[in-house]
Amino acid sequence: MMADPRQMPDGWFDLTASDDDRVREMSGAPARTDDRAHPIHAYLGALAGMPVPIRDFSRGMGLAFDAGPVLGRCTLRYPGTLRVGQGYRVKTRVLSLTRKPSRRFGQADHLDLSITLADAAGPASILEFAMITPVSGDE
Amino acid sequence: MSDASFRSGPVSGPDMAEWCAMLHDDNAIHLRREAAEAAGFGPRRVNPGPANLAYVISAAMHARPGVEFAEITAFFAGNVFEDDHLTVTLTDGVSHATLSAKDREAPVLTAIMLEKP
Repeated sequence: MMADPRQMPDGWFDLTASDDDRVREMSGAPARTDDRAHPIHAYLGALAGMPVPIRDFSRGMGLAFDAGPVLGRCTLRYPGTLRVGQGYRVKTRVLSLTRKPSRRFGQADHLDLSITLADAAGPASILEFAMITPVSGDE
Repeated sequence: MSDASFRSGPVSGPDMAEWCAMLHDDNAIHLRREAAEAAGFGPRRVNPGPANLAYVISAAMHARPGVEFAEITAFFAGNVFEDDHLTVTLTDGVSHATLSAKDREAPVLTAIMLEKP
């Protein structure tokens, strides 16, 4: 059993040039021309840099991850610039967790998270997203 | 200002697994067709949402070389499945975007993107 996910320690994310190259290739982005990384790393790094995988984090929050959570919305903010060859401290905060009626699932748990990637200069990116997880039938 | 469209696809199942590895996300709906079916998504694997957003951002990067974003907000209204053919449509420069899958009427994702001054 993992510790309370709301008290999770900071994690770490290394943004490598090879990962950035692959992300650009898979998403059809232009090739990199300097050290600025593809903006989606604000999302990738947030989840990859959590101290535990999102599955374990979700289970720790009491969510039925195996029921197949989906994304609702997300906001990415860039107070700084994400760069390849740079490491980032990853700070996760739970903003809210609420159970709501769902047309698709009957009932679903809505988890709002904020995950910041920060370097020595301060926050480089902030991801806020809502993950919607069906309430499993045995609850 | 006229719209700009960028087409891609078919969405690759092996790429889905690679996105999942990068996200440290082993949600089975992205990895196994039977899991997607059991969860009510139909017989094809479901593309991870951040990958869908990456297609949109990449299209904007083509339309506006060197662009730097201050904020991107995305609404995930539907799902992209393996073998889907996709179109990103940008309006107002790169400030509004939709991601649509061929043969589906409603966009699966809409995004508002604000550039840095």
